[in-house]
Amino acid sequence: MQKSTIQFSLINCFLAIVLISCGSVTKNYIPKKLDKTSYEVPYFSDSKTDYVYKTNITVYGNEISGIFIAKKINDTVHRIVFTTEFGNKLLDFEISDNSFKVNSIVSELDRKILVNTLKEDFRLLLKKEYLVQEQFENDSDEIYKSKDGKRDNYLFISKKDHKLEKVVHSSKTKENFTLIFSSENNIFAEKIQIIHQNIKLKIELNYFKSE
Amino acid sequence: MKTKIALLILFISGNLFAQEQKMTDAEIAAFKQDVNVVSKKIKTLSTDFVQYKHLDFLSKDIETSGKMIFKEPGLLQWQYKKPYNYSIVFKNGKILINDEGKKSAVDIGNSKIFGRINKLIVGSVSGNMFDDAAFTISYFKIKGQNLAKFVPKDATLKKYIKQIELTFDKDEATVVQVKLLESSEDYTRIVLKNKVINAKIDDSIFTN
Repeated sequence: MQKSTIQFSLINCFLAIVLISCGSVTKNYIPKKLDKTSYEVPYFSDSKTDYVYKTNITVYGNEISGIFIAKKINDTVHRIVFTTEFGNKLLDFEISDNSFKVNSIVSELDRKILVNTLKEDFRLLLKKEYLVQEQFENDSDEIYKSKDGKRDNYLFISKKDHKLEKVVHSSKTKENFTLIFSSENNIFAEKIQIIHQNIKLKIELNYFKSE
Repeated sequence: MKTKIALLILFISGNLFAQEQKMTDAEIAAFKQDVNVVSKKIKTLSTDFVQYKHLDFLSKDIETSGKMIFKEPGLLQWQYKKPYNYSIVFKNGKILINDEGKKSAVDIGNSKIFGRINKLIVGSVSGNMFDDAAFTISYFKIKGQNLAKFVPKDATLKKYIKQIELTFDKDEATVVQVKLLESSEDYTRIVLKNKVINAKIDDSIFTN
């Protein structure tokens, strides 16, 4: 009797370890009934605003700094330009949910893997509307799950002030990258961090108003 | 309303073009002579600047400002103070960067491209760029000012800079504005003011 109990607990422990190690991203969240079918993000949605950010990119220990500029140029497309502090243009993209165009890029940055990574990062950063399929919660946030091809996006809305604080882009089992927003007024974000979990890449954006 | 603004812009820019007049050969010679005399005397130079980054799709130019200090033969500090603190020092083959207190250094050694950039910045501000064989230069007169346009001959440089325009005060023969045009009609315009020539500047300033 005792032996089988030990065996049973061992199996349980083993199962628990397996389940935790390949557990889903939502393991610590409590599922709940959907309260909306879509979520709109305000941070880059105004076509009249020039979104200008001082930017620091850390990639495998190297630092690049400059100015990140985004502008909504029509209903679906954003123009994105990254320049040095001196104003030299390093890259110039046009991006929407389902289109992507490179207007220009300096040869030093023109690497397929980098362009594809930035494309994914920026597409999510500028995404205006997420369709929601599932909902969860934890102590501090409402969490909306939105399908994104083979992956999922998890939107974290703070319960306290109803602001979008975080978007986690992940596969079934692993987080790929995370966007973290700080916003005072829930109209634009003063500070944004894009943090990759599987490559050593971090992008930090700090909003600035030119005089 | 939009049409009115467009017409107004057209009118103003049309006017500016109308004022831009090609120099004669004699005028070019005299102008170059004036600038060379002044720039040869420059041992140190400090100036405030305002930088306007113009991108066609933006509603407003991005404005940043600060101070530039140069000391012969090759010490240069370019310091942004508003709306953020960022400074870059060119010194003994090194670039020292201070980004809001975060310091870094890049050894550029004999890097040709950075050598060029350094020469370009100093040349732009002091105005002494006429001997540079890397550019095709054309000369114009505007009211109270002279304008020199530099088009890079080198294809690599041309990819980054389509044209550099230096505007000179006619009487002082010093640069008052630097305009760097990028290939796609976007440009960076830097206005220099409160220029001080040959004040005593200590080497220790050129640290970050």
